[in-house]
Amino acid sequence: MKNQLKVLRAMRNWSQAELGEHLDVSRQAVNAIETGKYDPSLPLAFKISRLFGQPIEEIFDDGFDGEHHG
Amino acid sequence: MMDLTESIMVEPVNEQGSNTRRILWIMLSGLGIVMTAGAVAGYLAEHQAQGGGPLGAAGMIVMAVFAAIIIGLGYVIWRNGRALKLDGDELTRRERLNRNIMIGCMALGAVMGGGLAATGNLDIADPASGALSIFDDGRMSAAAALLIVFLWAVIIPVVAWFWHTRAIDEQEASAYRDGGYYAAYAFLILAPVWWLLWRGGLLPEPNGVAIFMAFAFIWSAVWFWKKYR
Repeated sequence: MKNQLKVLRAMRNWSQAELGEHLDVSRQAVNAIETGKYDPSLPLAFKISRLFGQPIEEIFDDGFDGEHHG
Repeated sequence: MMDLTESIMVEPVNEQGSNTRRILWIMLSGLGIVMTAGAVAGYLAEHQAQGGGPLGAAGMIVMAVFAAIIIGLGYVIWRNGRALKLDGDELTRRERLNRNIMIGCMALGAVMGGGLAATGNLDIADPASGALSIFDDGRMSAAAALLIVFLWAVIIPVVAWFWHTRAIDEQEASAYRDGGYYAAYAFLILAPVWWLLWRGGLLPEPNGVAIFMAFAFIWSAVWFWKKYR
C-alpha cells in the first residue's frame, strides 16, 4: 500500500530506527512499511496516525478513487 | 488524498534500505565455514584411518585450500559486517533484544554441537562410507539424549515464548506466520509423496529427520525472505 510515512518521518528529521523506537517496532518494519512491502495492522496504523497527527487516510492510500456504489 | 511529497520538499534522513543481501552473505559464509571445518575434520579422520603420519605434499595443498576457503569466507563476513555498521544500522530496543536472543540460540547450538562431536555422540559423516550420517538412527548415550531433550523441549519453548511476546514486532510475526504456512503445505504435500513413492519401490524409506530438517529449512527461509526482502 502506498503511504507518506517516509515524508512524514523526514519532516521530523527522524531515522527509520528513531521512528521504529516511537512505534515500538523494528527499523526493518519501518522500512517494509515505507516501501509498501508490508501493510501495518489497524492498531499500528492508528499509532502512526496519532504520532504524526494525521488521519489514517492522509497517510495511507489503498488506491480506491472511485465513487461509492450502494 | 493530498500528496505531501508534492507540497513539501524534504530529504529523508539516514535513508536505509534492506540489508537482506549483507545478512544473507554473512549467514551463508558462516555456514560455509562450518561445512569447510567439517570437511577438514573428515579429511584428517580419513588420513588417520589410512595409517596417519605426516600429511605429505598433496595433503598440505588440500589443507591450504581449505584454509584459504575459511579465510576467504571470514573476510566476506567481516566485510559485510563492517558495511552494516558503516551504514549506520541502528537498532531499536526490540531489535537489540531480538539479535541478542538469536546470538544466544546460535551460541547454544554451537556449544551443543561441539560438545556432542567432542564426546563422540555426533557423527556428521559416517566414518565407514563417508556419507552423511546426521540423518540416520545411530545410537547416542542416554545422558546426551536427555540433555538435548531438556534443551529442546524445556528451554526452547521458554525462549520462543519470550521471543514472540517481547522481541519481535508485527512485521516479523507476519513473516514468521507466512513461513509456517509454506512449511506446513510443503510437509502436507511432500511427506505423503515420499511415503507413496517408497511404497511403490521408487524411493528409499522416508526419513523423519530429513523431513523435519526440510520443514525447518523452508520455514526459516520464507521467514527470512519475508522479513528482509
